[in-house]
Amino acid sequence: MLNAAGLSLDQAPPIQVPFSFFRLAPLFALLAGAVLLWDGEVVLVSRWLAPALAVTHLLALGFLTQVMCGALFQMLPVLAGAPVPQVVWVGRVTQLTLVLGCLALSWGLYSGGRASLMLGGSLLGLGLTTFVVAVGIALTRARGVPQTLRAMRFALAGLVMALVLGLVLLAGMLGARITGLAGWVDLHLSWALLGWVGMLIIGVGYQVVPMFHVTPAYPRWFTRMAAPLVLAALVASTGLVALGKAGLAGWALLPAVLVLAAFAMVTVNLQRRRERPRVDTTLLYWWSSMGLILISAGLWVLDGPAELLGVLLLVGVGVGLPTGMLLKIMSFLSWFHLQHPQVVARRFDVRFPHMQVFMPEGLARIQFAVFTLMLVLLTLAGLSSGSPWGAYLARGGGAAVMAGALLLVWMQWGCYRTYQSISRQLG
Amino acid sequence: MALHHRCDHLLAAAETQLQTGAWPSMVAAAEGLIAAMLEHFRVEEEQLFPQLAEVFQAAASPIEVMCSEHAQMRALLEDLGAAVEAHDQGACTGILETLHFLVQQHNYKEETVLYPMADGALREAGVRIAAQLSAE
Ligand SMILES: [Fe+2]
Ligand SMILES: [Fe+2]
Repeated sequence: MLNAAGLSLDQAPPIQVPFSFFRLAPLFALLAGAVLLWDGEVVLVSRWLAPALAVTHLLALGFLTQVMCGALFQMLPVLAGAPVPQVVWVGRVTQLTLVLGCLALSWGLYSGGRASLMLGGSLLGLGLTTFVVAVGIALTRARGVPQTLRAMRFALAGLVMALVLGLVLLAGMLGARITGLAGWVDLHLSWALLGWVGMLIIGVGYQVVPMFHVTPAYPRWFTRMAAPLVLAALVASTGLVALGKAGLAGWALLPAVLVLAAFAMVTVNLQRRRERPRVDTTLLYWWSSMGLILISAGLWVLDGPAELLGVLLLVGVGVGLPTGMLLKIMSFLSWFHLQHPQVVARRFDVRFPHMQVFMPEGLARIQFAVFTLMLVLLTLAGLSSGSPWGAYLARGGGAAVMAGALLLVWMQWGCYRTYQSISRQLG
Repeated sequence: MALHHRCDHLLAAAETQLQTGAWPSMVAAAEGLIAAMLEHFRVEEEQLFPQLAEVFQAAASPIEVMCSEHAQMRALLEDLGAAVEAHDQGACTGILETLHFLVQQHNYKEETVLYPMADGALREAGVRIAAQLSAE
């Protein structure tokens, strides 16, 4: 029989759960920007150097994964009709361990300190496992569009694989012997970027793109093939690395890269046919992200520099797309939660401002401009790394990363203050 | 489902009129939207939901939530009417944006939970309701 118990207003988590994830995340972008500013001359020279590894993990775990965790806790009840069990506690444990683990790991990678690395690895192992188990339970009970749910389950598998491989590599840094290290590092990166991030963007995109701007749905042929192809490519690549064929393992990822490129093209095409006319900042972030995915796919096929790819994907898409989504999600959640008491009372006598006051579009435009500047600076830095110019550009880019993150903090703070002041007025 | 899409189209059309700044056509677009949404709520509240609740007890709580969201949307539609009358472009933009997101999550819940429930529980009566819904 159908389970109806899942659907009630109370299943949406308290607003503090997603908001604490959203509000802490930009501080990690701020830290990453600080490392770029400080170590500008080396960060983009090689992805193997300590500062580059630190920046990568600050952005990937501290910003991107933190926002995604908060968003999933929030979205699963709505999109999948599946509340996360014990969401307040699970949220707290996940966030605390994720935040401390990311800080410890990044510091360990930066300084080479064994204790930090060990601490970071264990905390992240604990936190991400908690997250995966809780969300996994929710997803087994989920209803909703099968293709979205499948992509989300695969994304979770991607996170698990990235975590396991990351822990193996950490053991390697701490002295365990790993043959063919470079192949395993690439695999860790592939599972994280294509598996976790890529698959989640695809799954969330299936729902959010038609919903946000009223576009046609993603075509059947795409939703049927996309996620399974990405997963198959990742599994094949893993098998080849295990067999010691690292060169082939890279090419095994080609189908996954092509799927992401196709996703970008299909998405932009759908958005071109959207019915809602306004070009808001969220849409600008979608377009820039989809463009960057296309450029990155091209660069990957042409065997372009890994550091440049890192900038485009991690800073461009990994920071850009979540930022664009936050602008909408935080505004809507603020408004929606403020309405809650009136919904319960079934009386709507108190009228308060609508969504647009929580995250003013003018500020969002400025934030997007800073983001664009940062991307240009860091791309140029990636192209001219090693030259004296490269260092200045990277430092400038770092400063812009910090400015963008601070602006986002400022906007979020404004959103939260507006929420609180209206909440007080309502009593 | 088709009706939800019709409301999406009407809301987008109202936003398009709003952007062109032509108030007479904006008034017409907003009136069309308001009428279509109110009518859809009425059909759900007076026909679909009571029939569903009768044959399927567990649906009572989700129905309750859906009705309270209808009330929320009715309040927004009232705001929209007032903002259109006052030719207040900023307010209209904000209200339509808010309404859009509220409608989207509401419809999603109906389409993934309530309508499938109704499909199963009301297989026979469902044919009749579907006919009523699509006859509009
Ligand atoms: Fe409804
Ligand atoms: Fe409906």
